[in-house]
Amino acid sequence: MVVQLTIARCSVDYAGRLQAHLDPGIRLIMVKADGSVLVHADGGSYKPLNWMSAPCSLTIDHDPDPELREAGVQEVWRVQHAKTADLLIISVYEVLGRHEYEFGTDPGLVKDGVEAHLQELLAAHIDTLGDGYTLVRREYPTPVGPVDILARDSQGAHVAVELKRRGGIDGVEQLTRYLELLNRDPLLAPVAGVFAAQEIKPQARTLAEDRGIRCLILDYDTLRGLSDENRLF
Amino acid sequence: MRLQINRDVLSEAVSFAVKLLPQRTTLPILSGVVLDAAEGKLRISSFDYEVSSSTSIPADIEDAGSVLVSGRLLADISSRLPADEVNLTTDENGRLLVQSGSAKFELFTMPLDEYPSLPERPEWQGSVSAETFATAVGQVSVAASRDDVTPVITGVQIELTSGQLTFLATDRYRVALRSIPWEGQIPADTTALVPVRTLSEVAKTFAHADQIQIAVTKDDDHEMIAFGTPDRLVTSLLIKGNYPPVRRLFPETVANYAVVSTSELIESVRRVSLVLDRESPLRFTFNLDGVTLEAIGNEQAQAQETVEAFLTGEEVVISMKPQFLIDGLSSTQNEFSKLSFTKTDNPHKPGPVLITGQTSKNGEEPGDYRYLLQPNLLLR
Repeated sequence: MVVQLTIARCSVDYAGRLQAHLDPGIRLIMVKADGSVLVHADGGSYKPLNWMSAPCSLTIDHDPDPELREAGVQEVWRVQHAKTADLLIISVYEVLGRHEYEFGTDPGLVKDGVEAHLQELLAAHIDTLGDGYTLVRREYPTPVGPVDILARDSQGAHVAVELKRRGGIDGVEQLTRYLELLNRDPLLAPVAGVFAAQEIKPQARTLAEDRGIRCLILDYDTLRGLSDENRLF
Repeated sequence: MRLQINRDVLSEAVSFAVKLLPQRTTLPILSGVVLDAAEGKLRISSFDYEVSSSTSIPADIEDAGSVLVSGRLLADISSRLPADEVNLTTDENGRLLVQSGSAKFELFTMPLDEYPSLPERPEWQGSVSAETFATAVGQVSVAASRDDVTPVITGVQIELTSGQLTFLATDRYRVALRSIPWEGQIPADTTALVPVRTLSEVAKTFAHADQIQIAVTKDDDHEMIAFGTPDRLVTSLLIKGNYPPVRRLFPETVANYAVVSTSELIESVRRVSLVLDRESPLRFTFNLDGVTLEAIGNEQAQAQETVEAFLTGEEVVISMKPQFLIDGLSSTQNEFSKLSFTKTDNPHKPGPVLITGQTSKNGEEPGDYRYLLQPNLLLR
């Protein structure tokens, strides 16, 4: 599983469902671990000039035809797509640099990064819940999983907080389960609930308020300390 | 219950009660309206534990009685009845029969004994001209926040002192303030933070009356405001929390200002901002030639216009959101508006602009309406 980067002066031809030709120039050729090959210029943002998606196979011919050799071509890369007749041909005139890296397993894109960050921020700014609130702990364990935040209000009564990026009905149900179990603990009861999210759907708000759970809208930017310069205060 | 009533009177009263009901309630009984017929009057009331309304309208009562029916259904029906005369009757199965011309409706009723009792008519603390009240609420409520992030600023803050009512609203980008006189004697100055939706509905509907009575009651766990006319009563719980101290944001005196024709500048802002992307600000240059509006930042089009402005003090370049400026200008309700440019200690942030009304170019400021707007950062 290696990624191979080659900087080379090359020309590129694509044959198959579309025909394309790039005249010789200096380019970055990226061969990814899954076999895909991308040819980048020093512009055009994320988009390669030409590419072949996986599955495909790459063969490098170090001994090109005499005709090509005369023109200065040192290597011919042929990238054949496994399922179609598409073919990417890279004629390399000069290799300027070559690197290989082992990337290992990618952890993947973390979509709920904001949610974890919100928990951290709300714990740090626990008075967002109200004046006099104090943090008991984050990820307070219950038999059915940890509740995001357990805090105490100004009177010392416990408050369980469930955090979501977008607050839906399922989040309210989740908090209801935690509250039921937390309230069985005589050392904690009574435990009030706060459903906190950047955005709460109307149905979720109705359900939460009907169950006596307070809804709190969080402003991620304010919690992060980013203030809107165009505000009066 | 058996009575005859005028269709339009009924429809107006029911639709007002329904407007104040919550959009979705988890207690179906609270989506109902109560009809009470007695002594030549039909009283229509609604209550959701936060807001209550009751309206008395004249009716020919044959048999007195009370009934609870679906509010939205009765509102829809009464607005579309064919004849002017409407007969309301309850039958032995407890259903409400609505009959008008040849149209007949049967509505199922809900058990009245489970319905909560409405707050009572409190002792009034004073009264205010309904028309002035409606104007003030309209001028201020534009600036109230529509965003739930900070619930306290989704209300209009009413400050009650003996002789004067002051309305305040803000969404952090602007603050609107209006003071009006009232015939009120209260022992101690007090404030009431009222949901903007309820206050706007009250102002609109009560505007036909002559005077509006007001009372604010604060118990240990119960803070409420009541608005009343002889025929109507609305109560609302107050929004809890501390209102931000926005009054101190208003400057005392400002030496640098420009006077413009209100309608002319509004027209020009609307015109020039046609080429702007949503949420983009307009750029204003105030100098001795007038004020030049420039819409820049859009790649497909640009626009520019100059209108008359009488500048006192130095030249000013600022950028403001078109809608925020129009809200302030149109709320001055004067032929001329004065834009005062405040100074600021922060070199990276422009000072807020104060907008007030003026009766003429050099005329007096009525001074009871003030709108403070934070300009956007100038971007080149």
